Amino acid sequence: MATVALTKPAKPKRGGKWSPWLFALPALVVYVAFLVYPALSSLWFSLTDWDGLSATYNFVGLDNYVKLPSDPVVATAVRNNVIWTVVTIAFPTAIGLALAVALNGKVHGKPVLRLIFYTPAVLPLVSIASIWGWLYNPQYGAINSFLRLIGLDGLAQPWLGQDSTALWAVMVPAIWLRTGFPMLLYLAALQGIPKELYEAATVDGATRWQQFWQVTMPSLRPAHYIVLALSLIDSFKVFDMIYAMTYGGPGTATQVMGTWMYANVFQYYQAGYGTAIAVVITLVAIAVGIPYVRSQTREAS
Amino acid sequence: MTSIAPVRVDAPVVPAGTVPASQPPKGRKGLVVTLLLIVVALFWISPLALLVVTAVRPLSDFIGNGPLSWPDAFTWSNFKDAWGIGNFATTYRNSALLALMKVPLGVLVSAMLGFALAKLRMKFRRTVMFSVFLGLTIPIYITIVPVFIMMRSAGATDSLFGLLGPYLAFGIPFEVLVLQSFFRQIPDEIFEAARVDGAGDWRIFFTIVLPLSTPALVTVAILDAVATWNEFLFALILLNSDANKTIPVGLLNFQGQFANNNTGLAAGILIAVVPILIAYIVLQRWIVGGLTAGATKG
Repeated sequence: MATVALTKPAKPKRGGKWSPWLFALPALVVYVAFLVYPALSSLWFSLTDWDGLSATYNFVGLDNYVKLPSDPVVATAVRNNVIWTVVTIAFPTAIGLALAVALNGKVHGKPVLRLIFYTPAVLPLVSIASIWGWLYNPQYGAINSFLRLIGLDGLAQPWLGQDSTALWAVMVPAIWLRTGFPMLLYLAALQGIPKELYEAATVDGATRWQQFWQVTMPSLRPAHYIVLALSLIDSFKVFDMIYAMTYGGPGTATQVMGTWMYANVFQYYQAGYGTAIAVVITLVAIAVGIPYVRSQTREAS
Repeated sequence: MTSIAPVRVDAPVVPAGTVPASQPPKGRKGLVVTLLLIVVALFWISPLALLVVTAVRPLSDFIGNGPLSWPDAFTWSNFKDAWGIGNFATTYRNSALLALMKVPLGVLVSAMLGFALAKLRMKFRRTVMFSVFLGLTIPIYITIVPVFIMMRSAGATDSLFGLLGPYLAFGIPFEVLVLQSFFRQIPDEIFEAARVDGAGDWRIFFTIVLPLSTPALVTVAILDAVATWNEFLFALILLNSDANKTIPVGLLNFQGQFANNNTGLAAGILIAVVPILIAYIVLQRWIVGGLTAGATKG
């Protein structure tokens, strides 16, 4: 006699069609209200002559954008943004990779060394700016003191106070700060390369140098991609460091789009024009970032 | 939000110290590389070391002997001066309060969204995901004018609460990115079993997903706390009175006031960075593990 299951298995509860949206809603509301909506309304402000204070303003179409190319400071800022991007990606990536390769070898005290090299990355940008502003101090700064100490008095100079050196002087702390991240990523990636690859290369008679270029570099491709994508996205956002160290000066020597936007909005009361500057750099940042965002979305699907 | 760049956490975050199984260092070559690295590391950390030395010496000693000399005398008074004039009691409280409000709330709402994206059948899932991840590329300064207007009309300028919304919004893309990729690793069978037992989505979320994801939640919370503690631009434009300033804005003011007092300035900078340094040293395994877990897998 067959026993028949008398109770039907409980029907799996699906929670209904709306359940996912209840989970999604709080974050999406905040995201739209404080990021998407402000970003889009900036598009509108960039088409006005608003000064940032008055109750009224006029729609001026694309006037602000038309003015951009003839603004000499914008030219400087774009040039500085490009230099900043190239330098603060190339140096940290190269130094970070070199440190990672060295740390991945037979080294004592690896955790402490790694800790030290990543330390600048967790400090507030403003404090990094303060520390380096203090090191660069023409009279009492450690850098000039060191140069005088080793007899190079002629090289001692107001690093942040003159056009010729200011931008480079601001980029040094940025390199200091940004080297830790590629180092960590490369170190983790290096540990994932199978030893057999190196053994096979050794059997084939490859030198250490050849092994680096034939085995290590190709295996690091995913890490290269992440480092490059994230550094690019990060570079376009540069603001804090320059604002806190030089405020764009001396003159306009260290202006970038972010600081020039800020100066226009909060100092020169040209909120419409300043916003147009922000829109331009944001569009570039989005264009650069989209491949990364797409790859992340694709992987999650 | 600031210097911490987002990377996926694919696997459960293992404290980084336990991962490498490299051979024990041996031989002369290892020693040479180690020595070389130590020299570079000393150079790397020298700005901070110099800061510490300067902060504990009297100003007269600093001026008399120069910044690179070893102090003749030591003092704590720089810290006392800096603490009072820099208003650090207030800025500390504000930054801590802000992080305490922002981080748990941000992690919770991001985890909820991440769960919906990773495990629930949601319409327009890919569109939502793409739009949220796109937030990673948006610079804060594109939003400051509208956010400023919004907060002014809501009466929320010069208040820590006014920072809450923008901070949450700019933290969400990174947190969702990390958490959803972690949630996807949880096998579906666990959910099916729970559903057969009659558990709804909320119970599954709170009793299964969150407890299983503790490592990812901790990593995200730490990185988020660092970013919140360090955020500068929103705080700069939204906070006016000294009573409401956070550490980065307070430090900037302090820097101006102490321009000629090098030892006091060094002490003030140290006061501002010590909590984050201690947190980093104590929690570094989580930070390192969270930042790099995504890199090892293509």
